[in-house]
Amino acid sequence: MVALIRSAPISRTIVFFSLLFVCACKSSSPTANERVFRVNLGTEPPSLDWSLATDHVSFNVIANLMVGLTEFDKNLKPAPVIAKSWEIRDGGRQILFHLRDDVAWSDGKKVRAQDFEYSWKRLLNPKTASEYAYSLFDIVNAEEFHQGKITDESAVGVTATDDTTLEVRLKHPTSYFVAITTFEITYPQRQDVIEKFGTKWTEPENIVTNGPFLLTSWKHENEIRLKANPNFFLGTPAIENVEMFMVNEMTTALAMYEQGQVDFIDNHSIPALEKPRLAKAPGFKRVPQLRGEYYGFAVDRKPFNDPRVRKAFAMAIDRSVLPTLLRGGQLPASSWIPPGMLAHNPKIGLLYNPPEARRLLREAGYPDGKGFPSVTLIYNTLEDHKIVAEAVQGMWKRNLGVLVRLENQEWKVFLKRLLNDPPPIFRSGWGADYPDPDNFIKLFSSYSPQNYSRWRNSRYDRLLEQAARELNEQKRVRLYNEAQRLLCEEDVPIVPLFTTAESTVLNPRYSGLEYNSMGRLVLRDVRLKTATGAN
Amino acid sequence: MRKTKWMRQLRDEWRRNPAFLVSFVFISLVVLAGTFAPALSPYPPGGLNEQRVLERPSQDHWLGTDELGRDLLTRILYGARVSLAVGLGTAFIALVIGTLYGLVSGYAGGAMDNLLMRVVDIFYGLPDLLIFVLLSLILGRNIGGVLIALGLITWVRFARIARGQVLQAKELIYVEGARAVGASHARILLRHILPNIFAPVLVTLTFSIPAAILTESTLSFIGLGINDPYSEWGTSWGTLAQDGWRAMRSYPHIILFPGLAIFLTILAFNFLGNGLRDILDPKGR
Repeated sequence: MVALIRSAPISRTIVFFSLLFVCACKSSSPTANERVFRVNLGTEPPSLDWSLATDHVSFNVIANLMVGLTEFDKNLKPAPVIAKSWEIRDGGRQILFHLRDDVAWSDGKKVRAQDFEYSWKRLLNPKTASEYAYSLFDIVNAEEFHQGKITDESAVGVTATDDTTLEVRLKHPTSYFVAITTFEITYPQRQDVIEKFGTKWTEPENIVTNGPFLLTSWKHENEIRLKANPNFFLGTPAIENVEMFMVNEMTTALAMYEQGQVDFIDNHSIPALEKPRLAKAPGFKRVPQLRGEYYGFAVDRKPFNDPRVRKAFAMAIDRSVLPTLLRGGQLPASSWIPPGMLAHNPKIGLLYNPPEARRLLREAGYPDGKGFPSVTLIYNTLEDHKIVAEAVQGMWKRNLGVLVRLENQEWKVFLKRLLNDPPPIFRSGWGADYPDPDNFIKLFSSYSPQNYSRWRNSRYDRLLEQAARELNEQKRVRLYNEAQRLLCEEDVPIVPLFTTAESTVLNPRYSGLEYNSMGRLVLRDVRLKTATGAN
Repeated sequence: MRKTKWMRQLRDEWRRNPAFLVSFVFISLVVLAGTFAPALSPYPPGGLNEQRVLERPSQDHWLGTDELGRDLLTRILYGARVSLAVGLGTAFIALVIGTLYGLVSGYAGGAMDNLLMRVVDIFYGLPDLLIFVLLSLILGRNIGGVLIALGLITWVRFARIARGQVLQAKELIYVEGARAVGASHARILLRHILPNIFAPVLVTLTFSIPAAILTESTLSFIGLGINDPYSEWGTSWGTLAQDGWRAMRSYPHIILFPGLAIFLTILAFNFLGNGLRDILDPKGR
């Protein structure tokens, strides 16, 4: 920057403003190679190891490299992929998955039931340190194995009885278990590859996959390239190559789309304030998501170890304002399970009530915010998060007299911070991995590593366990209602803010990209439109 | 007598160069606006006004409102504090460090001068943005941190200018005379040499102010600047421009006005610097 200072100031002024306005200029000649489909991931995927990945950026890449036993159909029901069928036995305590025998890995070897068994046990192995291990705790001895109470892998209730049969034994009947097999964490893995390459097994030169695309290059913090898998058992994808960019700056990403350098953009690439304009663009769609945003409190430290303080902060937020500011079809939420999912209950949760919030804060020893320690709200760098953070900061200042400092961090740094040293207040979100309330509500169980607030409540854990076993839908809903009241009204380790919608724009030259409410970017069926409509 | 001559030169410069006068008036207004920002605006610089989000310029909000309904004029007035504080503060820090360093280096000469100037060369060679990021991590993204970080990477220019002037001045007869009557090195440097090299240093100072303002704006624009709407400092113009950049196509007023504030202030400082140089160094005209 001294170089800037040293040069002639007027020239630099001109350069500054030129840069500013050049960004808005449209390129007249798109440079698109029509055989390459280009998308913006928004950031570097923290991991392409599906036992370790925890975020949707990573899963958006993995979902194009791999397939598993099942996948969601358009009604969000599990549909066969590698599993050609499954049998539920023993009153729901045993599931037998029958696998196709024509599915091959990218190195030519066949996908076998043993690859699933290895993958699931690796996920559960405490040495793997997977944050998603708890997703398989319904399996017999899975939790005990993960906690190191047993060390014998063979005691865990998942076994490949032969190359094409995977037997799963459950602790109790679990209505949603087949849905879990749509989730990327349950995809098969090759033991020989992982043991040979160790932590480097996901690099392009090492990785072995079975999905519609193959990973050809991964320039970290820059771009990922995929090419169509010619041996994909469901047919080679219509597009030959995919480029996935990692442009974090939304305005830049939007400019790339408008200049023809990207073919598809979503919330990662559309600044909130540009959404109304983009809504008129050809190829625009808005898809409600099974995804919730919340602010969490570090409940193990002052001042948020006091539930009255947490409640006061929750009741000082007017959630109804947030969709107006974000302009992306968000819905205010006071409870945690999102609309469109069993047990969604908008009547649960603390509503906006500034006088009551002030009373609670006064009762906690901070009348009008006086004496309240300096606290910081941390969010990952994204424009929408900044708007929400500044708006909520304003509400807290206005309603409680507390000035909360704001800090933003890059995605990977942010995730590490949440895991290792959660700040007093943090922003986070959760998208459905499978469309069952279990997936949302388990996030805050005492055994979930993604429960960044470090809140522990044995009653809450028991309610989840009971709900997971319960096959009667009404009884399940009642149990989840009780758990949600604990989470959002009594203990309040989190404040649900809103559920999201994905704003997407697909280059009108393409078709076939169906973005569902699970928010996965699946490119398998994308194709270039021609005059006749065929690829 | 000397004062009268300087005043006459100033008056002549105003007549000869109207841009100098206009710039002086403009900068004075910016200083006044920043100083009296709380009194000049009926709106707070921070907070949320959900009823008035993204309004175009109107009678109530002369420059419109931003994405949280905050009055843009108010934010720009408060932002002037950051820009001026950074401009003046950075230039002052750099002036003090760089001039003293250059004085010592030039006066000492020989191996010491060689060593000190190689240090300057090293500072010139360092990647400035990286240094700034590291310093702001250590010092924090607040007004003090930004001032010190920018000052620490800007002082080298003053060091070179001062050293060059000292090398000429120390050979002059009045310095020889002071030495002959037994004046100490400190006295020679501060009482005899410093006043005589001050004109070029002052001109450098006037150009460093807009440079620092622009640097802070650039750093804010890439997300490394000052954003604290609740402090007495407010949010820097560069941060306001960054916010506006994100909605440039749909709401151009959010970037236009902070951009104009940066542009006009830097331009005014540059014209002012040119005028001062003409007054202090007429031969360079």
